[in-house]
Amino acid sequence: MIFAQILISGFSLGSFYALIALGFSLIFGVTHAFNLAHGELILLSGYLAYYLWKFSGASPYWAVPVCLVVMPGAALLLNLLLRGVKAPFELNSLVITFGLALFLQNLMLWGFSADYRLIQPEMGRFLEAPGLRITETQVMLLLLSLAATGLTHWTLHHTFLGKALRAAIQDRRAALLAGINVRRMGLVAFGFGGMLIGVAGPLYAQTMYLYPAGGLEATLTAVVITIFAGVGRTRAILAGGWLLGVAESLATFLLGAGWRELVSAVLLIGLLIFRPHGILAKGEG
Amino acid sequence: MTGNSRLSQALALGATLLLALWPLAWPEADLYFQVFGMACFYGVLAVAWNIYALCGAISLGHAAFFGLGAYGSALLSHYLGWSPLVTIPIGALAGMAYGVGCGLLFRDLRGVYLGLATLASVEIPKVVIDNWSSLTYGSMGIVGLAGLPDIRLGDLVIALGRDLKAQYYLLLLFLLMAGLLHRYCLFSRWGWALRAIRENETAAAMAGVDIFRQRFLAIILSSYLTGLGGALYAHLLGLIEPALVFNLHISALPLVLSIFGGRLQLYGPILGALCLYPLDQLILQPRLPTGHAAVYGLVIMLTIFFFPQGVASWLLKACRRVSN
Amino acid sequence: MNKCRRFLLIVFLLPVILLTLTSVLWAAEPVKLGEINPLSGYLAKHGWEIHQGILYAVEEVNARGGLAGHRVELLSRDDRSSPEVAVNQAQELLYREKVVGLLGGYVDSLVGPISQLAARHRVPYVASASLQSALTRQWRNPYFFRVSKLEGIVEPLCQFISQTLKPQRVAILYMATPGSTEFATEVAGRLRRAGAALPLMEKFRPGARDFSVFLLKVKEAKADVLISGGFFPDNLILVRQMRERPVGLKAFIAPWGVAYPSFIEEMGPASEGLLGLCAWNPGVTMPGTEKESQAFVQGFRHRFGVEPNTTTMHGYTSARALLAALEKVLQKKEPLTGATICRELAGLDLLLPMERLKFDAYGDPMYYQQVVVQIQQRKMVVVYPPARATGRVQYPWDF
Repeated sequence: MIFAQILISGFSLGSFYALIALGFSLIFGVTHAFNLAHGELILLSGYLAYYLWKFSGASPYWAVPVCLVVMPGAALLLNLLLRGVKAPFELNSLVITFGLALFLQNLMLWGFSADYRLIQPEMGRFLEAPGLRITETQVMLLLLSLAATGLTHWTLHHTFLGKALRAAIQDRRAALLAGINVRRMGLVAFGFGGMLIGVAGPLYAQTMYLYPAGGLEATLTAVVITIFAGVGRTRAILAGGWLLGVAESLATFLLGAGWRELVSAVLLIGLLIFRPHGILAKGEG
Repeated sequence: MTGNSRLSQALALGATLLLALWPLAWPEADLYFQVFGMACFYGVLAVAWNIYALCGAISLGHAAFFGLGAYGSALLSHYLGWSPLVTIPIGALAGMAYGVGCGLLFRDLRGVYLGLATLASVEIPKVVIDNWSSLTYGSMGIVGLAGLPDIRLGDLVIALGRDLKAQYYLLLLFLLMAGLLHRYCLFSRWGWALRAIRENETAAAMAGVDIFRQRFLAIILSSYLTGLGGALYAHLLGLIEPALVFNLHISALPLVLSIFGGRLQLYGPILGALCLYPLDQLILQPRLPTGHAAVYGLVIMLTIFFFPQGVASWLLKACRRVSN
Repeated sequence: MNKCRRFLLIVFLLPVILLTLTSVLWAAEPVKLGEINPLSGYLAKHGWEIHQGILYAVEEVNARGGLAGHRVELLSRDDRSSPEVAVNQAQELLYREKVVGLLGGYVDSLVGPISQLAARHRVPYVASASLQSALTRQWRNPYFFRVSKLEGIVEPLCQFISQTLKPQRVAILYMATPGSTEFATEVAGRLRRAGAALPLMEKFRPGARDFSVFLLKVKEAKADVLISGGFFPDNLILVRQMRERPVGLKAFIAPWGVAYPSFIEEMGPASEGLLGLCAWNPGVTMPGTEKESQAFVQGFRHRFGVEPNTTTMHGYTSARALLAALEKVLQKKEPLTGATICRELAGLDLLLPMERLKFDAYGDPMYYQQVVVQIQQRKMVVVYPPARATGRVQYPWDF
């Protein structure tokens, strides 16, 4: 039964990784903007949820709709900033968002102080099975991540807008030729990405802790999973997140917490070498 | 875009002379020796990173070479007691060996995939060194590393370990050598091959460029130079720890400095290092003890906004406009 | 460049030029002290707490009229948790600002290089939160003093565990940093000698966000006591995950990050029964200093709007030590040099809320001993040593 418990840990953690990565993947896929300030945006969303929770006393899940509305606004501001960036775009967007991340980090330090903040979980609610226990947080994590991923996947594959987005991700020039307003797709991507960030924030504040310098970890996770899974592929991102989560949990159990990063790194490198276009990609050029 | 106008060449010469001669006027300016020395050091790291970036490979994991070079030298110095002048070049080979490994393993990766692979590749030596405490002292690190030794030339004693002015000149020399290397990388036949690979790999292959070989050479050079930097760093600081040398900051800073300064320009990475680092340490930090990091971030953002090809490109264009 | 961009560029460059110019001008002199702390980045919380403690001590002195009539000026710098930035800033303070004393510091790998630099400039450095033994035992540095030491944490912890808890099996979790690693090694050695079994001892890298699998191993190992060498944020996650899924522990003890009012506040009811160590807290103070401690807490609350904690007090204590030494030198009408200040520091014997402060020949504090507290009903109750206990430990708990 231990392994079942480990798997559950891995899956819930992995779902969270996937949720963090989704927003980044969409934005990067459509606009090729390498947003290194992604983690800081999630933190901002988290801080918003934290203060809403603190001052209203309501359940933290009520903060999710608010963040869903506010964060796309922030993301669109970022889009505006990146509009002014000239060639080489990918590289420059990387460095500009690096500067932005530094700036936001210290803005949050000034505004929210360096204290660690946590949305306190309500203890004691969980699902129990013989030898197994799934906590409420894990359930919510799984549910919300699956919902977000499912919604994104449905939008991308079953709506016309989604088709246009996917076209822009696959080949911008071809999409332009096909008459798709790639610029507007960029806006949509940022908006959608902002919503995904909005969902990730409150969950982040609950399962981890809020801290101005904490954005880097989240950004790294997002980058890793996006490239690992292949840009813009929602199901692969979920699978990638799960794979990483389970691998980390197994590594921690079998080898010890000190070897966790090594196993992830080896897994990542191995996959990059053998399936360079993402784990579920069909090996296109 | 990478040629030089007369004016810019004169400026470069003037700047070099200034860097070499100002200590004669202020012989006791320890603070400035320290900060500008480190700025030169980061200039070397930026050049080293840029050499690999010249073939189009944006590496996010140069800290691996840095850390391995540092540990190579530190362990040799700690266990065998050799002089740092010997252990530094040899220790850097550890960085280069890892560069060889990465070059072979990542031969088919490009773009963001390569970036990610290099990012992940930092974890492997870091975790191994961190856990192998019997050899490397693990997380405890090694303190009390031998500083750079004294060099005796007849009656003259250059105390590299203790005299900050001597260290400054050493680092300046290091930077000038890196600059010459950079020039070679840009303007030699090999440099053109790298540029061709960066611009359009398929076309370059059709023109007869051996893609794998040129990229491999680039990473060997880049990783050795970075390893040298790491080894030097360990002995300058006198201590070493896995978290210190396998740091994301060490991977990120040369990248930022290169792009800030202009990675396609001869003096780009060097200019980036010499401008941004002292600005941060000497001006932003003391004047804004609590807001300096935010301003630093702002400076980076605004510079890329106004000078998307880097500061050096803009300077070059300005020089050309003045000359005409 | 079009006109708009040119205008923006000038607006941006002007402040930079002005800042550069003002950097070159020299300031006039009251008594100048420098402090270097991590004010941004991963350790910012602790850096700010130390900074506030030091600032409060300096303001306290200035409110009294200064040191023998001289005002004290505090220059703060941010080391960004990087040794070379720490050294650069220390150089800046020593060379450009010409400070007569240095304070602060949180990470030992930064404190070491700063202390060497201070020795070279013959300026005393009183470190606020340094712990590792190598700093004072490996090289004799007559200019280095500190108000804390690892021994002051390890000894009470091990004695408490072996005398009061008497567990059969102990699990240790520690961080991949030099301080936490040295701590874990020392504790493990002592507990083994006292007869306890150590079935699980694991290291994690700072920034790890999930301990659920480790806790599973703790359960499998049937450990009685878990010692956590993690910091504040790590314990936030560790304790919460432990509460969510009980692992059969009888006690949880963490030297860093639990005995903080803000920890109790953030964790809420989940903090019940946890054991921690601290050198001081509001309500936990050296016998004989209750009034002073109360005054400090109230004054600090009024000044900063936050509750002071043990880290704050470390900053405050180090500043008090240096200021006391400076005052003695000035009262004797001697010049403020490294030799005179260090002489007075070596001869200090102050009863402060955190400890009876007296330095030994190596610069270590002779009487630094933390106390073990247990969180009972959202309050910290001292449970060890018996001489300072304010309540009984509730053991075994059920985690």
